[in-house]
Amino acid sequence: MAVELMLEKWPGKVGELTLGATEQEGGSRSGVIKLGGQTTLPFLFPEGKIPYKPRLAFEIWDIAPLDWPQDLSQVYAHVFADPYLWAEKCVREYKAEILCIKLQGAHPDFGNKTPEQEAELIRGLLKRVDLPLVILGCGDRDKDNLVLPACSEAAKGERCLVGSAAQDNYKTLTAAVLADGHNIIAESPIDINIAKQLNILISDSGLPLERIVINPTIGALGYGLEYAYSIMERARLSALSGDKMVALPFICLVGQEAWRAKEARVGSQETSIIWEALTATALIQAGADLLVMRHPQAVEKVSNYIDNLWG
Amino acid sequence: MPRGQFPDWLRKRLQIQIHMEKYKVTFYPDNKTVEVEKGKTILSAAISTGVYINSSCGGDGVCGRCKVILRSGQVISQPAGRITLEERKRGVYLACLATIHSDLEVEVPAESRIDLEKLSPQDLDLRLKGIYSDSEDVESAVSVLGEEIFVHSPLATKLYLELPLPDLEDKISDLERLYRQIRRIQDIPIMQTGLANIRRLGELFRSADWKITVTLGKRNGTTEIVLVEPGDTSHKNFGLCFDIGTTTIAGQLVDLNSKRVLGTKATYNKQASFGSDIITRIIYAQEQDGLEKLHHAVIDGMNQMIQELIQEHKIDLNDVNCILCAGNTTMVHLLLRVEPTYIRRAPYVPTANFVPTIRAAEAGIKINPRGLLSCVPGVSSYVGGDVSAGVLSCGLSDLEDLGILIDIGTNGEIVLGNRDFLISASASAGPAFEGSGVSCGMRASRGAIQRLKITPGDFKVSYNTIGETKPLGICGCGYIDIIAQMLRVGLLDKNGKINLIKHPRIRDSADGREFIVAFKNECAISADIVISEDDIENIKRSKAAIYSAASSLVKHMNLDFAEIKKIFIAGGFGSYLDIDNAINIGLLPDLERSRFIFVGNSSLAGARQILLSYEAMKKADEIARKITYFELSVEPGYMDEYIAALFFPHTDLNRFPSIKI
Repeated sequence: MAVELMLEKWPGKVGELTLGATEQEGGSRSGVIKLGGQTTLPFLFPEGKIPYKPRLAFEIWDIAPLDWPQDLSQVYAHVFADPYLWAEKCVREYKAEILCIKLQGAHPDFGNKTPEQEAELIRGLLKRVDLPLVILGCGDRDKDNLVLPACSEAAKGERCLVGSAAQDNYKTLTAAVLADGHNIIAESPIDINIAKQLNILISDSGLPLERIVINPTIGALGYGLEYAYSIMERARLSALSGDKMVALPFICLVGQEAWRAKEARVGSQETSIIWEALTATALIQAGADLLVMRHPQAVEKVSNYIDNLWG
Repeated sequence: MPRGQFPDWLRKRLQIQIHMEKYKVTFYPDNKTVEVEKGKTILSAAISTGVYINSSCGGDGVCGRCKVILRSGQVISQPAGRITLEERKRGVYLACLATIHSDLEVEVPAESRIDLEKLSPQDLDLRLKGIYSDSEDVESAVSVLGEEIFVHSPLATKLYLELPLPDLEDKISDLERLYRQIRRIQDIPIMQTGLANIRRLGELFRSADWKITVTLGKRNGTTEIVLVEPGDTSHKNFGLCFDIGTTTIAGQLVDLNSKRVLGTKATYNKQASFGSDIITRIIYAQEQDGLEKLHHAVIDGMNQMIQELIQEHKIDLNDVNCILCAGNTTMVHLLLRVEPTYIRRAPYVPTANFVPTIRAAEAGIKINPRGLLSCVPGVSSYVGGDVSAGVLSCGLSDLEDLGILIDIGTNGEIVLGNRDFLISASASAGPAFEGSGVSCGMRASRGAIQRLKITPGDFKVSYNTIGETKPLGICGCGYIDIIAQMLRVGLLDKNGKINLIKHPRIRDSADGREFIVAFKNECAISADIVISEDDIENIKRSKAAIYSAASSLVKHMNLDFAEIKKIFIAGGFGSYLDIDNAINIGLLPDLERSRFIFVGNSSLAGARQILLSYEAMKKADEIARKITYFELSVEPGYMDEYIAALFFPHTDLNRFPSIKI
């Protein structure tokens, strides 16, 4: 007897977001990448539409990351000094689709670069590579409020993804992103309510919901992954049930978390890579749309995984 | 002629005679003189003049702390073991045992005076600064049901009796004679009398010519003869009811005969200097002298309020015979100086929920030394007698339909139910709605901004203060209006942050951005009245705690807010509440406005009903036994509900469909 699948019909749909702008659209990217748009849970193709694959972005820094473990830093050590070369290496050697530049050097404790210096870097980067760009601040709230608007302006029209906005500090970044035609990352501390509140606040400030990406904050495998997983799953279930305020794509900073894990720092190279890859694949099952990763072999594994499931 | 009764003309003559039998008593070093009836005790005369004499035992002649020295005059006193031979030679008497039989001059030695009086005016001023503020007149608590529902039978009743003189035919004892006369008027099968009163009877009846006033107290199921006084004082019978809150103490003076409320006052609970929430205070109680200090903080406040009330209404403290207190469980423990430690230790068991009626003096409350003190029975460690009183006064326990009582206080208490069931929860909401912990907050008393409107665009503010005076600060309902209005005109984001708009009313300060509600030139204080982002954050947390407690409780019972037909809103944060604004900020669920009933201080209203009716006391008892308690702290969904409510009006906007911000 044939087994009949029980199919769920969801009323909601995850918002669709476009990353990057081509020349016709006023930017200079070679192509655009779309995220979101699902009408069902990950990989449940018979149930609904899943128009776009989960995407992987390579994380690069504006300064040499001194605390990256040996297994990771040896891959990029020769390009650490030059973010442009680092970016080009990702594009040429690893076929990166998206680059994520973290402006760690702007942090008062790590170089304290000026907003002008960082804006200049972004301008240069946009000239050297033609991929869609994710721009991450250094994490120092006051400094980011100076640096990110400058970078946003420098990348005006390129439809980047800029972050992060937080519940108590979203106004400056939202205004900049709104003015310069970018998308925003809304970061919340593993809390579905705060995630939603922040989306409401940002959209109340005039930025349309389809330009917001949720950073739910994650933990690596063995370091609270399941908390992040359940929050993302709950948010996605609400989204599919019709709650527009959480019906937005997720970005997960996988590399940053996975390479902090003790197993990734002191284990064999293989363990470290698998740690990053497993963290990423689990989050893809929870609904991640964009994953920021570090090790090229981990990216390769996850990429294969996506392709296999995509069938 | 009925037995024991005289014709009117004779009675009047005799009364005149009694009135003539008054003596002057002068107290030194105060040099205060008072005229009292023959047969009264020195202690009672002292209380009438406002000379405060220690009386720990409540006039039983046991503690020996009310020693006075008789300079001249004649008294009759029972022997007391507390007085040494040497003292007796010096003319020392116990004020509570010595009855007055001529004009007297009495010296009150320093060691017999009560502690409060020992403080210099400077010390008192210092203690009364800040939170040690004077009490203020506030609106009287309304009772939703009306006062008429319970039979009038106050905690203390006074009866004027003219006892038939004993003769050879009718020679039952004095005490039985008293009982017999009482039973002719009231059907009281069981009566008790303390030994101290019995000792007095023989002498008192005869010196008062068998015309006496007896005060009967309802005490734990029996009726006690609390006090026997010479002459007719039955028209002077007063009682007090109190709502002892974590942040605010409200008290009311009631004429027990006419049921009339004479005055209502509120003051901050002085315990706040030992911690603003009950947990901190319970911890403090374990420190050395901690319990003592907390106990004194509350009774000092109450005694001071009693003093002000009786002075303003020119009432003799002797005629205040009972006091009824409603408070949360911790407050009642501290009032009675009972160790509260176990309230905060799992499994959270209080020492007593049903406290027997005691002498007020035992708790250190200064009314008539033999007066009674009763507490409204509580439910659990975190749902106290204030809730039972609240339920009683709004009639929740008699409703056919579902109702909910939401008490917006420092401990936000919620009771859901009807005549079939009652379930309660308690949320730690903080004192913001009572005007504490917010920069320009104040109690809902004279000068508090309580209604406010902001015009969109130019942000012009128009407000209304209690008593229509110049503003002194903002009370709870004022804050509700301000935040709702700021949201409406776009001054606030839904997270409670003030938008950066260039306007003379908006400025940045050390506490974050602030909005000027009233400029100092229009205020009664020498500073601008402002609301800061920190204040808004505090209010937001308070409202989130209350809303999420209510919604968790409703969810726990598998119900929906829409099924609740009556929503009683209680709290001493104002004399009025704009329901629309309270819904706009997400404090109350978005339901038809006609379902909301603002009941003010329902705990005080309930306490007054119980003070005035023993039937109401029995009802409160029944309510307290009926209410079950739902512990929110172990409910996994509560934290989620709370975070979702930390938003204006709520993260889930579908729950507030009528709001368009």
